[in-house]
Amino acid sequence: MENRSYIQRLIARPEFGPLVLLIVELVVFWGINPDFLSPQNISNILAFTVELGLIALAMTLLMTSGEFDLSVGSLFGFSPVLMWTLYNSGVTSLEMGLLIALIVAALIGLVNGWFVTQLKIPSFLVTLGMLLVVRGTALFITDGFPQRTWSAEGSWLANILVGDFYVGPFRIYASLFWFIGAAIALGYVLTQSRTGNWIQAAGGNPNAARARGVNVNRVKVGLFILSAVMASLAGVISSLRTSAANPNSGTGYELEVIAMVVIGGTALTGGRGTIIGTVLGILILRVMRNGIVLIGVPGLAYNIFIGAIILGMMALHSWLERRHQAGT
Amino acid sequence: MAEPLIRMTNIRKSYGRVQALVDANFHVNEKEIVGLLGDNGAGKSTLIKVLSGAVPLTSGDIFIRGKKVTLRSTSDAIAHGIETIYQDSALVTQLSIARNLFLGREPIKPPRFLNRMDQEAMNAVARDLLREVGITKNIPPTTPIGSLSGGERQAVAIARAMHFDSDLIILDEPTNNLGVAETQGVLSFVRSARDSGHSCIFIAHNIHHVFQVVDRIVVMRRGKVVADDIDPKKTTVAEVERVITGMSDKEIRDAISDGPQRHG
Repeated sequence: MENRSYIQRLIARPEFGPLVLLIVELVVFWGINPDFLSPQNISNILAFTVELGLIALAMTLLMTSGEFDLSVGSLFGFSPVLMWTLYNSGVTSLEMGLLIALIVAALIGLVNGWFVTQLKIPSFLVTLGMLLVVRGTALFITDGFPQRTWSAEGSWLANILVGDFYVGPFRIYASLFWFIGAAIALGYVLTQSRTGNWIQAAGGNPNAARARGVNVNRVKVGLFILSAVMASLAGVISSLRTSAANPNSGTGYELEVIAMVVIGGTALTGGRGTIIGTVLGILILRVMRNGIVLIGVPGLAYNIFIGAIILGMMALHSWLERRHQAGT
Repeated sequence: MAEPLIRMTNIRKSYGRVQALVDANFHVNEKEIVGLLGDNGAGKSTLIKVLSGAVPLTSGDIFIRGKKVTLRSTSDAIAHGIETIYQDSALVTQLSIARNLFLGREPIKPPRFLNRMDQEAMNAVARDLLREVGITKNIPPTTPIGSLSGGERQAVAIARAMHFDSDLIILDEPTNNLGVAETQGVLSFVRSARDSGHSCIFIAHNIHHVFQVVDRIVVMRRGKVVADDIDPKKTTVAEVERVITGMSDKEIRDAISDGPQRHG
């Protein structure tokens, strides 16, 4: 087992397949349209990548613990609506509005976690119900219309979340640093910390984890809260960047985020997760969305490619897993 | 006479109207391997679940070294030095050997607020423990449990119980689905555990395996302990089978010749 070469071990890693796929995508899109790697296009890809990416990072930990959250897309739409409604009506400052939106998101995560761990209802059903409740609330309080336009320019909150600057020809948003920070922090938690060991055990064999004194329920509730807060923060960042708070925004994001996570090599059944893989999964889907438009494929065909990527990557991960179990 | 390590007296456990345990009395001495035998439904699994804190007893008392204890959960039992190793459910297959060994009790590197596991220390201890339980193959402690054989997994679970100084290790069907060589390996791990000062309860359907390793055999039938001092060196498998079934030799022969219609 120790004699396996470095190359063999590299290939056996769950991140290897996604890395190869990303490189292939970059080469193909660049080969067909050299503008694909232009500074402006790279800046565009990175700006939106970060917002879905924040949700995917938290979802990686949640899925590693054996659960998932379908309510993240609705929270992405709801939180900015709540923050701006409070601000526009003069009830709170923008900063206090953000704080309240994050606290409400944490409570929604807590409710999700409580239903799943205490009532033993599958997370699919609980978070599907919560998706409808949250989306319905956002539509109800706005009558279905986007919030009135405003400008957050000059606000320190907007500056630290989405302030932009140029590095050479590249336009970089501050949110990129939040994403990198979150990826490093959550990668550390999952691979280096005691909590990470508990998260993997909770997803891999919850009974064994409980027998060792791990509080599996507390771990899962904590991750539902993290997932909800990250979705809320991503929604606020997106609304500040685009100067819009639409109650319908984030529709369908839950499935795209889950696709990013599983493409990266995190097991849908729990027990195994990788933050590096998720970062690759995020880039694969965002590059695909951007690239097929640039090379002239109709945008409506996007889902065909995404579906094919998911099926292909699942087949690859399943094959690697079988090899891994066989010890080869 | 010295107080036994574990003493269970007048244990009753009922599930609704079904009496799974009826005034069962059971004990395990220090550094002793006890074979717990009984037919399906005899109550041995329930007795073990009560002792491992997995199910609460209806009435009765449990003493550890003469001191009465209450076991409300598996964590309670582990805190009292009782570790139960089930065939498939004791380990997390996705985690490495070292991470499984320390699950729930991971050593932390300073500064503590970073909550960082001391993986070098975990790997070093895991390497020593694998050698101690007699795994001679050079298996790195970072190997995921999923790529180990059934016997090696049992060894890891036994090593964990030994490392955390469990006084009593309960092995529930540890030799099920194992090949001949692996079974011998597991039996030798059990002997290593006893030799290093641990007591064990060994439950197996294969009486021959029990005979090879235990110091004393206890037999249960219909929720009661019907024999608790059978010396495997002074008895035969056939005699123990008679105690398990409660039948005479002739009745056992008749049952075998009748085939599975009566006892299948």
